[in-house]
Formats: sequence, structure tokens, C-alpha cells
Amino acid sequence: MRLFIEQLLNGIAMGSIYALITLGLALVYGVMRILHVAHAAVFTVGAYVGLFIFQATGSLALAFVGSMVACAILGVVIERFVYFPLMKYPPFVPLIGSIAVMLSIEEVCRLVAGPYILTFPAKLPFPDIYAGGIQISSTLLAVYSITAIVLFFLWYITTRTELGLAMRAASQDISISGAMGINSHLIVSITFVLGSAIAAIAGILVGIYYNQVYPTMGAVPAYKSLALIVVGGLGSVSGAVIASMLLGVAETLLIGYANIPLPRDALAFIAMIGVLMWRSEGLLGSSR
Amino acid sequence: MSSYTITIGTIIVIQAIAVCGLNVIVGYAGQISLGHAAFFGIGAYTAAMLSTKAGLSFWTALPLVIAIGGFIGFLLGLPSIRVREDFLAITTIGINFIVEAVFRYVPFFGGALGIGGIPRIVFFGERLKGMTFLLLCLVFLFLVLLVCWWLTRCWASLACYAVRDEESAASTMGISHVRFKLLAFVIGTSMAALAGSLYAHYMQFINAGDFSFPVSVGFLSMLVLGGMGTIWGPVIGTLILGVLPEIFRPLVDYRILFYTLLLLLMIRFQPGGLLGEESAMRRVLAPILRRGKA
Amino acid sequence: MTQPLLSVNGVSKYFGGLKAVDEVDFDVFPREILGILGPNGAGKTVLFNLISGIYQPTAGEVHFCGQRIDGLPPHLIAQRGMGRTFQIVKPFGSLTVLQNVLVARGVMRYGHLTKIWGPWGSKAEIREAMEVLDKVGLTELAQRKASLLPLGNLRRLEIARALIVGHTVLLLDESFSGLRHDEIGQLERLIRRIRDDGRTIILIEHNMRVTMGLCDRIVVLDHGRKIAEGAPKDIQQDEAVIEAYLGRKGISHAS
Repeated sequence: MRLFIEQLLNGIAMGSIYALITLGLALVYGVMRILHVAHAAVFTVGAYVGLFIFQATGSLALAFVGSMVACAILGVVIERFVYFPLMKYPPFVPLIGSIAVMLSIEEVCRLVAGPYILTFPAKLPFPDIYAGGIQISSTLLAVYSITAIVLFFLWYITTRTELGLAMRAASQDISISGAMGINSHLIVSITFVLGSAIAAIAGILVGIYYNQVYPTMGAVPAYKSLALIVVGGLGSVSGAVIASMLLGVAETLLIGYANIPLPRDALAFIAMIGVLMWRSEGLLGSSR
Repeated sequence: MSSYTITIGTIIVIQAIAVCGLNVIVGYAGQISLGHAAFFGIGAYTAAMLSTKAGLSFWTALPLVIAIGGFIGFLLGLPSIRVREDFLAITTIGINFIVEAVFRYVPFFGGALGIGGIPRIVFFGERLKGMTFLLLCLVFLFLVLLVCWWLTRCWASLACYAVRDEESAASTMGISHVRFKLLAFVIGTSMAALAGSLYAHYMQFINAGDFSFPVSVGFLSMLVLGGMGTIWGPVIGTLILGVLPEIFRPLVDYRILFYTLLLLLMIRFQPGGLLGEESAMRRVLAPILRRGKA
Repeated sequence: MTQPLLSVNGVSKYFGGLKAVDEVDFDVFPREILGILGPNGAGKTVLFNLISGIYQPTAGEVHFCGQRIDGLPPHLIAQRGMGRTFQIVKPFGSLTVLQNVLVARGVMRYGHLTKIWGPWGSKAEIREAMEVLDKVGLTELAQRKASLLPLGNLRRLEIARALIVGHTVLLLDESFSGLRHDEIGQLERLIRRIRDDGRTIILIEHNMRVTMGLCDRIVVLDHGRKIAEGAPKDIQQDEAVIEAYLGRKGISHAS
């Protein structure tokens, strides 16, 4: 039983991290109808920038802030210089562009920081908790709290502010007319700022959680989070979060208890294809 | 020609055959596939199993390989008629990961070790290697190009274009989008299976890693570079991306970056590819061609 | 009385709680021009989508030539002889005007899987296609890329595609909207000629003058329901129609 609860807690942490990465993708798809694969590269850059700032200054707070700013800029650059000019083409054109951006950034990371696995020896300022013989480490607690804060913040922005309203309007605007006004372009850029800053947080958390930062750390999350936004229903932020949590828990429990010959990375895709065959618009997708 | 040049040439020709197949799916029928390496791999593994375990020769196995490749393409193409375009992109990525995982983790397919000891192709009593194998591949490429050319001339291609451009208009005219989307998938994946079979017999040893997702991205880059929907685009694209790394060998460390930046610049500024309809190259060549005719 | 060619019986379509089409019935007889009239959002295009198989009705039945067609996929309905155009034109943009017509030309003849491999563009086929293009007045633009054509020509191209397939019933969805004045006259003549060739036409139209002049009978929809049906001059005086179109203010103004 104790083992089960510990596995479950790990699974929730896993799911939280998936959610933080997938959120940006779901947001971008919501306003722009583009599969932003390069988001995973933004996440990798977030981890590296965070690590370097931490090494230089020793301050984790500075690392978070600096990395969020850097990633926000990177996100907007990708949007302005790659996606926006390609909006007029069929969706696979920006998608190919996105894959190219991701692989290029991965390469730049490898050339700048080397192909090695770097360690991220930071201690997050959270206490270890012992309850009923079960230990919740400070890292787990940090992952939970930060995810909760980000989710609340995002929920507040998208449902309770004018900006959120404008984001929903922008998505309507784009999907109906295929064109974009100046205002909605600004909204799209803000969406990229939000999504990329969250990716930076996810990057640093993953770096600390596994104590590893390496150039291709975004590769598996990139494709897995694609599967997740499909399962959640493309463009549905809550669907993406639910799907992420389910996958995180399911993966961890399955690896712990069932003896499955396939690697867990393939599981996400098998689940995805199953869901698609069952409901072609995803779990929370709207049939339009 | 040195044996090294022949090796590079053979690989390029085999890849060109696979990319021609991708062109049928993406270029002609307008369906994105990011899992083409999976079908290439299915062809290679089928050929390898049939020759090492069932003892069939390349020639007797070939029709089976193409049929099995086409049939699996048909099955895996079924999602394409159910899901929207951007879902399809992700579904095909998923298929690639799943197929690779099956090859890697199921002992029947040799597991992590892959399959070795695949015999060479025998043609009229002669074992093909080096130059003769390259010639065989060129003959197959020629046949595949002939099929592609024929496809652009027959009514099925017009119907495919119609479904690609405006699915609902095509269907209310009486054209079944299911039929033509699946057809493109079957033709494209059988070409990939043919290429896979040649690859298996050439390498004599195959491994799940040869058919991973980055290989699919590579195929798509070649197609985008050459020009989607054109006949020669796949060949040109494969040739350029195959030869360039040899020219830039001294810069080996920057090779992948160069590749990916090239793909990025192409898709950003010339999404139609080098031979695409409004490409810079066409514009440069057009006056010369016209003068030639006059 | 002759048998109806197309009959729509109690057809409804709900989107969530919205009743886009609500128990609509009407019959269409051979060689008739039937107009579907109604304010924006009355459910006219949804009705066309139900008849042509793009949507499945929530309730009700559609019969065509005595056979039930609701629930069939669009291409099978089309193959039985039902053609349509779209309010937002849908040309095959990467093909030329001639190729657009040649695709349609092949639908019936290359229907079987073994026959689709035949080449397109034989002399006889091109002659046939050019005849149809001549009928709709697009001969000169035959080699032009469809995506480069102005709206008026695209509307005629859609009609040409439907004509060459050999559909017996044509559903025309706002074919007049966005046309210049002279183009409207041309299209009216074209539609009459198509009818005189023995086809049946159902059209959705906003332009009152065109509808009244062209149609033999008119069905009026409002909020998804049929509120009137009859000859144009009866419809013009129908109170429910006037109310739906002009509102109460309009009636008081008129009286």
C-alpha cells in the first residue's frame, strides 16, 4: 500500500510536468491552429538558461525569472518569424517549419553546451513532509505547488480577464476568416509569451527533478505532448491538463505493476490512437 | 567510381524510391505523413523475415513485401479518413513510434539486436553488389518514377487533387474521399516497402533504429526541398540532401544544424520546394527553357 | 399528379439545443425550379447539407427517385444524380478550369475502382468539357487556374461541374450573391436553359426579385421551420412571410 501511494505521488508529479509542457501547446493551438512542436525546444532552452543563471549567480529565483524572460522572447521570435508568415499555407507547412525549428534549436544547444548530461544540483525551498510513514520529498512538493500556482494563474487569466476573452475571440477570428488583425496578432504573441514562460518553468523543474539537463531532453516530451493535446481535444486547455495527469499516473503505475513489453513512450501513442478511433475530436474536443 | 561513391549512390537511390512514395501521399493526395520511415521499416523487416526465416529469394518475396506493405498502409491509413489533417500528422508520428517500438521490443523481430544475415540479391545466378546492385536500384527507381508519371496522367490523380483541394465539393460531386485517400496511402506505402526491401538486402543487417522518427523527418525534408507534388522533386531533394553531407564532411559537427536550417529556410521562403510551381528556380529556368523551345 | 422527384419528410437537425432545421416537409417535382427563401440563419444551407448528405438528419426522411437517401454518404447521393454548388465557392484551386470540369466528367464513367486508371484528357472528353464550358460562358478561361478566377466565374464553374456529371437535380446555394448586375441576368438565363434541358433545380436565394422571377414554387423557412409554401405571387402576400422578412414594423409601414 505504501509503495502504491508513493508510486501514485510520483505519477502525479510526472503528470504535472507533462501538463506544464502541454499547456503551452494547447494555448498556441487554441489561438493559432498550429502544432507548435518547437515548444519542446523552448522547454530545453528554459532548462539550460535556468541552469546557467543558477551556476553563475547561485540564485534559483533569478534562474526562474531569467529563463522565463529568455523563453518568452524565443517563443515570440518563433511566432513572428516562422509561424505567422506561414499561416496562409495548409497546416502541414507550419508544422514542418516547427519541426525544423525544434531540431535546429536542439543542435544549437548541443553545440553551445556540449552533448553531455549536465547536472542541476539546486535545492528547491520546500520542506520534506512525512505523513503516516509516507515521505513527500521537497522536490515533489515543489512540483505540485508550482503546477497548482501556474494552473490557477492560467485559469484566472483565461476566464476572468479581458485578455482571456480576447484570446478566445482571436481563436474564433482566425479559424473563421483565416486572416488576422493587428490586435489578434498581439494576442497571439501574448499567448506565446505565456506558453513559453510556463515551458521555462517546466524545463527548470524537470532539470532539478531528474538532476539532468541535456540537448535532446525535449524530444520525447515534444511528441508525447502532441499526443496529449490530441487526447485532450485540440485546443482544450483543461482537456490537455486532464490527459497529462492521466498519462503521468498511468505510465508510472503500469511501469511499477504491470509487465508490459513495450516502452512507456509508445503507450501514450497507443492510447492516443485508441481515443481517436473512439472519439475523433478527443476527450473534451468540440465537434465542429 | 570508388566503392564509397557507389555506397552513397545506392543509399540515395533507395531513399529516393521511398520519398517518391511519400510524394504520392503528401504531394498528390495532400495528406501529411510524418511516419513514412515506419512503412520503409515494415518493408525492410518483411523482406528480412521472408528471406532469413522463410528462405524466400528477393524476387519471390518482392510481390509479398509490396502487398503486405500496401495492406498495412491501408490499415494504418484508416485513421486518415476519420481524423482531421492536423490530427493525422500526430497520428502518423504515433504510428512511427509504435512500429519502431514493436521492432525493438518484440523478440520475434530480433529485438534490440535487429536482424542480420540477410542474403544478397541473386540475379541470373549472379550475386548483386556494388555497381550491379546500384543498377538494380536505378531500374526500380525508374519504374517507380514511371508509375508516378502515369499517376499524374490518369483520372485517379485528378480525383485525388480534387479531394485534396476541396473535400466536400468533391464528395458532393460523387467522388469518394475515402477511396482516394486510402488509395494514395496504399500506393505510397507500397513504394516505401519496395525501398525497404532493397535496403534490407543491401545492408544485410537491419535494426529498429534505422526506421525511427528522425528518418521520417529526413524523408519529408527531402520531399519539401525538391518540391511536393512534382515528379522529379523527390529525386532532386534526396540527391541534394544525400550529397551535401559528403561535401561538408570537414564541418561534420555542424552538419545536422546545417540540415535543419536548410529545411527551415526552404519551408519559410519556398514552401513549394525547388521545383514547386512558384519557386525561384522555376522562375530562373523558365526564360531559358522558353528560349530553348523558340 | 406526378410523382415527386425529391421529397423531404419531417426533417430536423439539432446542434446541441439549437434546432437549425425543425420538421421541414416539401416535395420537388421533375423539371421544376423551387426556391428556398428565408432570413439569415433560417437553416437554408443546413437543409441543403441534409439533402446532399453532408449532415445526417436528427429526425425525418429524405427520398430521392422513390428511394431513401438520408444517412447515405455524400458521394453516393451524388452518384444517384444529386449535384450542388456552395455558398462559399469551392473550386479545385490547383487545377485549371478545364481540369475542374474533367474531374467531374469522370465521376460516372470512371466510377469503378478498376476504371479510375484511365487517362484523362482524351480529345472526345475535352470536346465534351468545352461544350459545357461554352454553355456557362467560360470557354476563354479554360486553361486558367481556378484559384485565380473572380467570384462570378467560379459560381458558373461550379454549375459546369454539376452539369457534366449529369446530375438530374441541382442544389444551388446562393449562386447569385456577389454577382454584378449583368452577371445576374446571364445566370438567370443559364438556369432557365438548364431546366429546359430537363433538369430540376432547387435554389437558395436572398435576392427577392430573382427568386420571384425565376422560381415556379417557393418554400419559406424561418428559424428552421417552414412557414409558407406556394407560387411566388402567393408568397409575396403571405402574412407570415412578410412578418419574418420585414418584422412588425414593416407590416405597419406597409398598411
